[in-house]
Amino acid sequence: MNRFTRLTLLLALVTALFVMNGCTVGQVAKPGATGSQTLTETQAVEVLRTNPVYFAYDRYDLDTAARNDLRQKSDILKQFPRISMQIEGHCDERGTEEYNLALGERRARAVYDYLLMLGVPASQLSTHSYGKMYPAVQGNSEAAWSKNRRAEFNASR
Amino acid sequence: MKSGRFLRRGVLPALLLACFSLFAPVAAPAAPGALNDKFLAPVTPVAYRVQAALAEPLGEGRYSRELQQAILHNLSFLPFLEILDPAAIPGGVRLTAASGPELDFERFRLSRADNLITTLWINSRQVEMRAFEVLGGRFMFGSRFDLPDSGSVGDVADEFCAQFMEALTGRGDFFRSMITFSRKDGPRKSDIWVVKPTGGELRQITNIPGDSISPAWSHDGRFIVFGNIDSKSHALGVWDARSNRVQRLRFPGNTVIGPCFMPDNKVAVSLTDGRNPSIFLLDHSFRKEKPLINSSGIDVSPSVEASGEKMVYTSSRMGNPHIFMTDLKTGATLKISNEGTYNTDPSISPDGTLVAFARQMGGGHRIFVHDLRTGRETQVTFGPGSDEQPEFAPDSYFIAFASTRSGGRKIYLTTRHGGEARQVDTGRGDSSFPAWGLRK
Repeated sequence: MNRFTRLTLLLALVTALFVMNGCTVGQVAKPGATGSQTLTETQAVEVLRTNPVYFAYDRYDLDTAARNDLRQKSDILKQFPRISMQIEGHCDERGTEEYNLALGERRARAVYDYLLMLGVPASQLSTHSYGKMYPAVQGNSEAAWSKNRRAEFNASR
Repeated sequence: MKSGRFLRRGVLPALLLACFSLFAPVAAPAAPGALNDKFLAPVTPVAYRVQAALAEPLGEGRYSRELQQAILHNLSFLPFLEILDPAAIPGGVRLTAASGPELDFERFRLSRADNLITTLWINSRQVEMRAFEVLGGRFMFGSRFDLPDSGSVGDVADEFCAQFMEALTGRGDFFRSMITFSRKDGPRKSDIWVVKPTGGELRQITNIPGDSISPAWSHDGRFIVFGNIDSKSHALGVWDARSNRVQRLRFPGNTVIGPCFMPDNKVAVSLTDGRNPSIFLLDHSFRKEKPLINSSGIDVSPSVEASGEKMVYTSSRMGNPHIFMTDLKTGATLKISNEGTYNTDPSISPDGTLVAFARQMGGGHRIFVHDLRTGRETQVTFGPGSDEQPEFAPDSYFIAFASTRSGGRKIYLTTRHGGEARQVDTGRGDSSFPAWGLRK
């Protein structure tokens, strides 16, 4: 094996390692972190699943906090194109089932549209509404209701 | 079970005139197919109730006691009817004849009974039942029934009571109908069941993963459609009575909410076209045919009258959810609910005159009935808990609804005028989304 061949093989090996590494590790900002940190794909899935987005009563517009959080999620999704994410819309217990299913869908759709606008490919996203079927918090106070009007994120590889 | 009517039908106008003579100077007879509003007026402590007497059965019947109890049970669901206590009738309810000149009406007149029901067992498994108007001693109707086994007792009682209610009000479909509903059968698992509105014949018809909700019966009784929600998607469930099989049909947009049948067996259902849930028409193969209601807001929960012309639904086009009605021929749209800020779950009566819906109040939702002829709105339920999902029966008189008044969610019956709600026995587990169908 001459010098040229050895160099070519070494270059191919380095390229292959770089490509493999690039598929599973990304430079994204972890929520709450001050700087950019490296995430594996598994960690990215876990991060995407955290931090639901909350809504006002009978509303489906995104507030500033929700938009900031979705920007981080969009960075992760763009970094890891193999990750798909189902956006699940939920409502509090006060409304009726069928209207809440529609409202939950509208909430999930608002999140979906915003992530699309941030450049996340549609192929990575889907929506699903559960209405008021599965509250995150039991109770009949505003404290409980405010935690139940939400969009959750079911990310997977 | 039924071998056919053998007795000539009574003269209804004469009956009604005689009945009403006790409390009104003149009463018009019930037109065929029309409800007699005098009988079906709101039941209040001072309102008139028809008083009926049930004579002891004559002859030896294999299921005599069971049939008598089934009829008493059925008639107890009619809020405008009271069965007289036999002890309050001079001479009691044991008669020597079930018809003819020997039939003693006098004791029932003295008891102020309006109607008399007699039962005669021809042999151990065949019975004749008759109804009379007491004041004039007039025959209303009679039928002969076969009871080959104990399972036929309920059907015979239902058919006789249907004929009796029909003679009084013009419509007896309550006793010929079934209720389909969603029952919680475990975590993230609900299935579709059916039951008689008077209880009995409780039967599970689906057993598929996820939550099956919002069932609706086709007018020909063959299909029940419903929404099915599992961990991946919404789908339209279709149960076919002929094959006893369930199909699960998905649609683009992943949203399927609140299907209902049109009179021609097409389906109206909320799907998402990429923006808001809107109401679409599905063809006879359950494929998307065209949009029916597509506003700038959420449009859900369609309900269509028997003629198929008027559709009511919930829409948030004006911000909050309210009840709207659209003429499907002309497209003319009318806002029905004008009070409150959260009105949902509309049901239009099959005769197209009334709309029941749920309004959010301080302590939960309550059922209201809006009269399309007068614009008058009446609250018909008062909790406690939350009363939701009203559905008009085929007779446009009874209303089934779901309520948490007893803790868990159960199905109750009331009428278009309100009155005391009666729970339908749906077994264990939470039950909701009642919808009516006629037995075929």
